[in-house]
Amino acid sequence: MFLHPWAVMLGLAAVGLPFAVHWLTKPRPVRMPLSTLRFVLEAVRQHRARHRLRDFIVLALRAAAVLLVALAIARPKLGDEPLVSDSQSGSAIRVVVLDVSQSMAALDRGVEAIERARTIAAEHLRYRPGLRVNLILAGASPRTAFEQPSQNFEALRDELSQASVRPERLDINRVIAKAAEMLAADSEDDRRRELVVISDFQRSNWARADFSPLPQQTQIQLEATSNESAPANIALLHCQIQQRTAIGGATQLEIEIGNYSPLPQRITAEVAIGDATFRVEGMCPPNRRTTLAQEIQLQQAGWQVGTARLTGVEDALAADNERALVVEVTAKPTYALLTRQSASQRPSSSYYLERALAPDSQLGERASVEIVRVDPAAIDRERLTAADLLVIDHPGKLAAEDIGLLAGLLRRGRPVLYVAGEAIDATNLRLLVEAAGGGLQMPVDFAPPPQDQQRRDLFLTSVRQDVAPFDVFGESRQAITARLRFGGGLTSSRLENTLDDDLLATYSDGTACLVLTSSDAGALAVLNADLNRSNLPTSEAFVPLLDQLVQRLLQRRAAVTGAMGGEPVVVRLPSGVGSASELQIVGPLASESELISHGELVDEGIGVVWRWPSPDEPGVYRVERGDETVFALPVGLSAEESPLESLSPDVLKNRLAGTLAVHYRAAADPSGQRDVLWTWLLVACVVCIVGEFVTLTAFRS
Amino acid sequence: MSTQTRSPFLDLRALAALAHMRFTTRRRIEGAYSGRHQSRQQGGAGEFVDFREYSGGEDLRRLDWKVFARTGKAFVRLHQDETNLLCTLALDASGSMSFSGSRGESSSKLHYVQYLATALTHIITQAQDQVGVAVLDDGVREFLPPGGTLTHVALLQELIEHLSTRPTTTMAGSLRSLFERSSRRGVLMLMSDFLMDDLEDVFGVLRLFRHRGWEVVVLHTVHPDEERLPDGAAYRFDGMENDGHLSCSPSDIRVAYESRFKSHLAMVRQFALAGGCDYRLVSTAVSYLQTLQGFLVERTG
Repeated sequence: MFLHPWAVMLGLAAVGLPFAVHWLTKPRPVRMPLSTLRFVLEAVRQHRARHRLRDFIVLALRAAAVLLVALAIARPKLGDEPLVSDSQSGSAIRVVVLDVSQSMAALDRGVEAIERARTIAAEHLRYRPGLRVNLILAGASPRTAFEQPSQNFEALRDELSQASVRPERLDINRVIAKAAEMLAADSEDDRRRELVVISDFQRSNWARADFSPLPQQTQIQLEATSNESAPANIALLHCQIQQRTAIGGATQLEIEIGNYSPLPQRITAEVAIGDATFRVEGMCPPNRRTTLAQEIQLQQAGWQVGTARLTGVEDALAADNERALVVEVTAKPTYALLTRQSASQRPSSSYYLERALAPDSQLGERASVEIVRVDPAAIDRERLTAADLLVIDHPGKLAAEDIGLLAGLLRRGRPVLYVAGEAIDATNLRLLVEAAGGGLQMPVDFAPPPQDQQRRDLFLTSVRQDVAPFDVFGESRQAITARLRFGGGLTSSRLENTLDDDLLATYSDGTACLVLTSSDAGALAVLNADLNRSNLPTSEAFVPLLDQLVQRLLQRRAAVTGAMGGEPVVVRLPSGVGSASELQIVGPLASESELISHGELVDEGIGVVWRWPSPDEPGVYRVERGDETVFALPVGLSAEESPLESLSPDVLKNRLAGTLAVHYRAAADPSGQRDVLWTWLLVACVVCIVGEFVTLTAFRS
Repeated sequence: MSTQTRSPFLDLRALAALAHMRFTTRRRIEGAYSGRHQSRQQGGAGEFVDFREYSGGEDLRRLDWKVFARTGKAFVRLHQDETNLLCTLALDASGSMSFSGSRGESSSKLHYVQYLATALTHIITQAQDQVGVAVLDDGVREFLPPGGTLTHVALLQELIEHLSTRPTTTMAGSLRSLFERSSRRGVLMLMSDFLMDDLEDVFGVLRLFRHRGWEVVVLHTVHPDEERLPDGAAYRFDGMENDGHLSCSPSDIRVAYESRFKSHLAMVRQFALAGGCDYRLVSTAVSYLQTLQGFLVERTG
């Protein structure tokens, strides 16, 4: 309650001082005979009540002034007593958690939250006999100053002074687990356990905090660095090229904007990719995420590195106004159609597929896609390896060697579309699954249909309408799919412990229609139908359905989602990049790349894998072979760090802390403001003194 | 003139400047001998003044026979007798008169009155008039009826010299007693500070004097330290007429006190003028000679 409680007692004793001074300094009267005593008496009687009132007011004001001075010296503190403070004595183990996530760089009233946090943390890192302290810098992973709590306060303060905001999100539960590990001790150890957490208590991070790992007797002091009313922030949350990008081809640039301010904002983003620059504008409603999209064309092949930047934005957190962008611009995509059907055989399943995959094939060289037919009997491995997509239709019985080749390509990221129209396809699929190993877990097991069973006039009964490819039909999906009739194909049975989401459509007989399963870096889609015996190729749904399916398959290979700062990165590089020994990683600061570790490249069975425990600096990290960039990875901030709204103290204290003793100290009354009461007491004291003079003057006049 | 008195309050050298001045009355008076003052008697030996038609019963010795012979109408001759002045100095000897403020005993009101009264006895007797002294407190402590002899004057001045005060808060009784002991009409000169409880009764008695034909002159004596309280943080004021004491800060009540004192002065003046008395405020801050000169100049007209 008071920083100096003795001053209160002193003040109470000193309240009598004005009365004593009044009595002691009362002037000794000069004796004088007076003939007109009667007039003096009458005048005194007339003013007696007035003078008594004056004396009462003056004495009361003087006593109040003395009391106020004493209270000011006592330094009263508002609110609850902190659970952890310097005023406590005795042995204790204290863990100070300092939030260094990106949101701590947010400016509030002109000061970064990390600076406020540093000041508060310094208060808890002062020497006291019997106190052992450790400092945890909390980001995506906790970083401790010492392995165990220590009394080396100087080193801890050095660590604190060097602490800076990291481009990471806060994983609070990992931090709590680390703190719990330090605070846990023998049952005989009766030292007090103290946990001090200094953070902005972002709702996005702290909503899932769990204090239960902490020892029950732990006293938790939560020190907020920002108010509940978060400062306005506008963030560039994501920036990506949605589709596989070919030279000169149209592709979709999508930018997701988070407007965490109370007003709608018109946002302009400048996106520089290679030599090209694009501007994306749009209105962003308040407290919502908005995706701005624009169709762009890229004219340079290869890995293009770019930056998206919000322009004209002045907000609390500047770091999230920019984000790195990577896109691989390829030449015209090539699809390998593995079929034993002749190109001249019309109509045929492969014919339908060829026309649907390359609708503009009649344009010749200007066609957007090149279809290469490959005879399963004489597979050209190079052509298959160079193809962006493998489409298998009526391949007949595939050789084991060819199956192995296809499985290898599949695992290394080559998408495969298998149209299973014949009974032999069941065998091929089984062998392919076996060759792919544990990385390919199909949701169904395909088998040849029984001899006496005719698979025809099958219709769709269950469709995943919210994902590609069926989402392309929108509200008319029901009407379109209801007219489709399928024939041929394989029977299927569901496999246990597999993903339901991989089964995209089911026939009226319960067998699978369309399956899409990941296989390591690649993906395998199985369309279970004989197109020649179905009305799908002749329906309006065929081309868009196939296009969406192919785009989804290619997207898995093309999409480079990027990594988040502080989060572990494990990336399988595209096939064909060579061996790890030929590659080197170049960071955004190329001159420092040799000095700073960017993880390691390892040759594994499925190709080269890039492992990086903790990316540091946001930007684009490139994997180069010689002077050629063979892969690029954008590292950016987590979108969780952009909404700066803090979690309610009540939630922190009541719901998240459970039965643990928690004290929350808001940013509105940190040491600077909470202790400001003494200045107001002094002001009140001055007011009392002025009031005394005013009273005396008023009564005198 | 020989100086037979040894009164320390008589400064003949200072009074020499006032020797040509005489104390005159504004009304006709009744004296013992003939003198310079208009008498209430209209006898036949005085200065002719007027004729008046004779009315039955009048003394035929005053009838102007010559006029009666010429005109056949009876007229009587009116003459103004002149007589000497009988002045009684009534001196207030209450405790409050010994107030001297912070200037020492020699500046007390009583001291001032002693100088003034002594000078008046000298001046009045120099004009062949008679003067007496009555010392008043709660009774007539001393009374010497008017006389004009040198011995009488010496007695008067000795009485004035040894004048002392007594704590008393009333004076009406003593004045009434004086009224009863005074047989002849004359001039009553009352020198007092009028700090008494029975102020209205005092002026009631003075009205009796006036009613009997006395000329009453009220010399209201005040001390400058009475008009304004002394400066200082705190005083303990002791009453001079057994009215206790009071401690206070003069600055707190200065305005109210001055207001009340002025009201007192105004009230005394009002009472005096309403009773037909001649009122004069006498401050001890002014030299008694200056006061006396002003008084006599006014009286001489």
